[in-house]
Amino acid sequence: MSAKLMMKQVTHTYGDGDGARTILNHLDLTVNDSEFVAVLGPSGTGKSTFLSAAGALLTPTSGEIYIDGEPLGNKDKSALTELRLQKIGFMFQSAQLLPYLKVEEQLLYVAKLAKLSTKEAKERSAYLLKRLGIWERRNHYPEKLSGGEKQRVAIARAWMNKPAVLFADEPTASLDFSRGKEVVQMIADEVKNEGKAAVMVTHDERMLEWCDRVYHLQDGVLVEQ
Amino acid sequence: MFLALREMRHSKARYSLIMVIMLLVSFLVLFVTGLARGLAYANVSAVENMSANYFAVQSDADHAFRRSQLSDTELSAARSMVGEKNATPLAVQMSTITADGADVKADITFFAVDMDGMLKPKVVQGDGITNETKGSVVVDSKLKESGISIGSLVKDQASGLTFKVAGFVKDSSYSHTPVVYINNLDWQAMRQGTGQGGSSAQQVPYNVIALKTTSSVAAQITSKLNNVEVITQKQAIASIPGYSAEQNSLLMMIVFLFVISGFVLAVFFYVITIQKSSQFGILKAMGTKMSYLAWSVVGQVLILSVASLTISLLLTFGMNMGLPDTMPFQLKGQTIGLTSVLFIGMSLLGSLISVAKVAKVDALDAIGRTGA
Ligand SMILES: Nc1ncnc2c1ncn2[C@@H]1O[C@H](COP(=O)(O)OP(=O)(O)O)[C@@H](O)[C@H]1O
Ligand SMILES: [Mg+2]
Repeated sequence: MSAKLMMKQVTHTYGDGDGARTILNHLDLTVNDSEFVAVLGPSGTGKSTFLSAAGALLTPTSGEIYIDGEPLGNKDKSALTELRLQKIGFMFQSAQLLPYLKVEEQLLYVAKLAKLSTKEAKERSAYLLKRLGIWERRNHYPEKLSGGEKQRVAIARAWMNKPAVLFADEPTASLDFSRGKEVVQMIADEVKNEGKAAVMVTHDERMLEWCDRVYHLQDGVLVEQ
Repeated sequence: MFLALREMRHSKARYSLIMVIMLLVSFLVLFVTGLARGLAYANVSAVENMSANYFAVQSDADHAFRRSQLSDTELSAARSMVGEKNATPLAVQMSTITADGADVKADITFFAVDMDGMLKPKVVQGDGITNETKGSVVVDSKLKESGISIGSLVKDQASGLTFKVAGFVKDSSYSHTPVVYINNLDWQAMRQGTGQGGSSAQQVPYNVIALKTTSSVAAQITSKLNNVEVITQKQAIASIPGYSAEQNSLLMMIVFLFVISGFVLAVFFYVITIQKSSQFGILKAMGTKMSYLAWSVVGQVLILSVASLTISLLLTFGMNMGLPDTMPFQLKGQTIGLTSVLFIGMSLLGSLISVAKVAKVDALDAIGRTGA
C-alpha cells in the first residue's frame, strides 16, 4: 500500500488580523491506493477549501501536502499546473464540460495536454467511455446529454490521464437521487479498477454506501465516523 | 489550436458575425487606402513617374518647384558632378488652355523638358516631339475626356500661343491637372512673349534640375552651390500644391479605421472571454498551461483576421475591376502588404486584453461553483 494523498497538519486561514477565520486547523489525512474516501459537512464548513488545498489549487497557510509522494510546498505555479495535469483528476460540481467539445474530444483534450500519442489517447478514451456506458454518445455535444451522462463524461475525463488521485466536488449535487448513486458507484468502481485513490466531498449522507471511509469536516479537522 | 478551432466550429454564428465585422472594417481600410493612393497618384503622377530621384531647387524656394529659379550656371555645375545625362532642367508653368473646335477650357501644367533627356515623355499614342519641333506638344491622355485628340490645336490663354497635339502620354498629372509637355524652344517663345521684353537674347531660366544620383552626391551639391538645395523625389512630391493636405486627411481616416478595427475586435473578444471565464478556470484546474490558453485566444483572432482579410482583398480586387476609370484607385503590392500586416497587428494587439483577462482567472474558481 502506498499513500496517494497525504495531508499533514494542514491549516488554512482566510483574511488576517481581526477578520481572520481559520477554516482548516491542523488537518491530517492519508488516502491509499484503491481507497475511496468521502468528506461530509454542511455548507460553509470548508469542504471546498479542503478540496482546493488537497488538489493543489490553493496553497494552505501552513502544513504539508503530498500527492503520490511528491510534496507540493516547494513547487511554483507552473509546476503545480503540471502536477495537476499528471497526478490529479478533478470532477466538479455539475460536470463543467467544455460546451464546444464533443464527448470524446473532452477526453482527447486532456490526453493532448499530457502529450499522449493519438493512438494511445483514442484507445484510452474508448476504453473509459465504454466502461462508463457512454460510448454511443461520443459524438454528441454536452448540451445534448442528460445530467447523469454529463457526470459520467466528467468521470471519464478525470481518469483519462491515469491520475494518482481523483477529487470530486459534490459530484451528485445536480443529480436526482438514483442518478447520483449511480455516479458515486461508478467512481468507486473506477477506483478499484484503476487502483488509484479518490476523495469525494459531499453534503449528501445517502451517497456513502461505496465509500471505504467517511469523514466529517468539523472545526477544521476531519473526524472519522 | 485544438480548443480554438473546435470552439469556432461549435459557435459558427457567433464567429461568423465577428468575421463579417472584421471583413467590413478591413475592406474599408483597404478601400480608403487604395483611394488615398489613387488620389495621390492622380495628383502627382507626373513627378512620381520621373526617373529622377533628386531635384535641385533654389534654396529659398521652400521646395516648391514654381517658386524656384535656376539658370545654366547651376545646370552646368550640377552636370559636372553627376554627369551630363543625369541632370536635366525642368520648367513648370500652370496655365489654362482652350481647344479649337471643342468647347473646352482646361487647367493644365506645362512641363518644359529636354526631349533628349531623362524627362522625355513616354508617348503611348501618336508621335513624340523633338527639341527642334516648333509648336507641337505631347499631352496627358486625361485631356481626351475634354475632347482633345491628336491633331487638335490647343491655345495657351496666358501667352496666346497655339500648339498642335502630337501625342498622348499616360499617368502624367501635376497638382491634379494634366501635364502638357513642350520643348525648350517653345518654352523660350512662350516666356519671352509674355515677358517685359528686352531680354530676348537671354535664356529664360528653368525652375528645377532633375537629378539621378546618390544621396552623398546630392548632399555635396547642396553644400557646394550656395544658391541650391537638393531635395528627394518624396520631398518634391510633398511640396506639390494640395498634396500634403489631401494625403494627411486621408491618412487620418486610415489611422482611425485601424484604431477602430483594433478596438471593435478587442471589445468583441473581451466580451466573449468574460463570458467564458469560468471555463478558463476549469481548464486551468485541469492542468492547462496559461501559454496554451493565450495561444488559443490569439490563434482565434489570427484565424479570423487572416480569413476576413483574405476575403476583403478579393472583394477589393473585384471592386477595383468594376470601378470606372474616373475614380482614382490604386493598390500596389507593397501597400497591400503593409496594410495587411498592420490590420493583423492591430487585431492581435486587441486580443491581448483578452489574454490578460484569461491570465487573471484563478483555477481556484473551478471548485465550489454551481453554475454552468
Ligand atoms: N476566498 C475566501 N476568502 C474569505 N473567506 C472564504 C473564501 N473562500 C471561502 N471562504 C469562507 O470559508 C468558509 C468555508 O468555505 P467553503 O470551503 O467554500 O465551504 P463549503 O464548501 O463547505 O461550503 C465559508 O464560511 C466561506 O465564507
Ligand atoms: Mg463548497
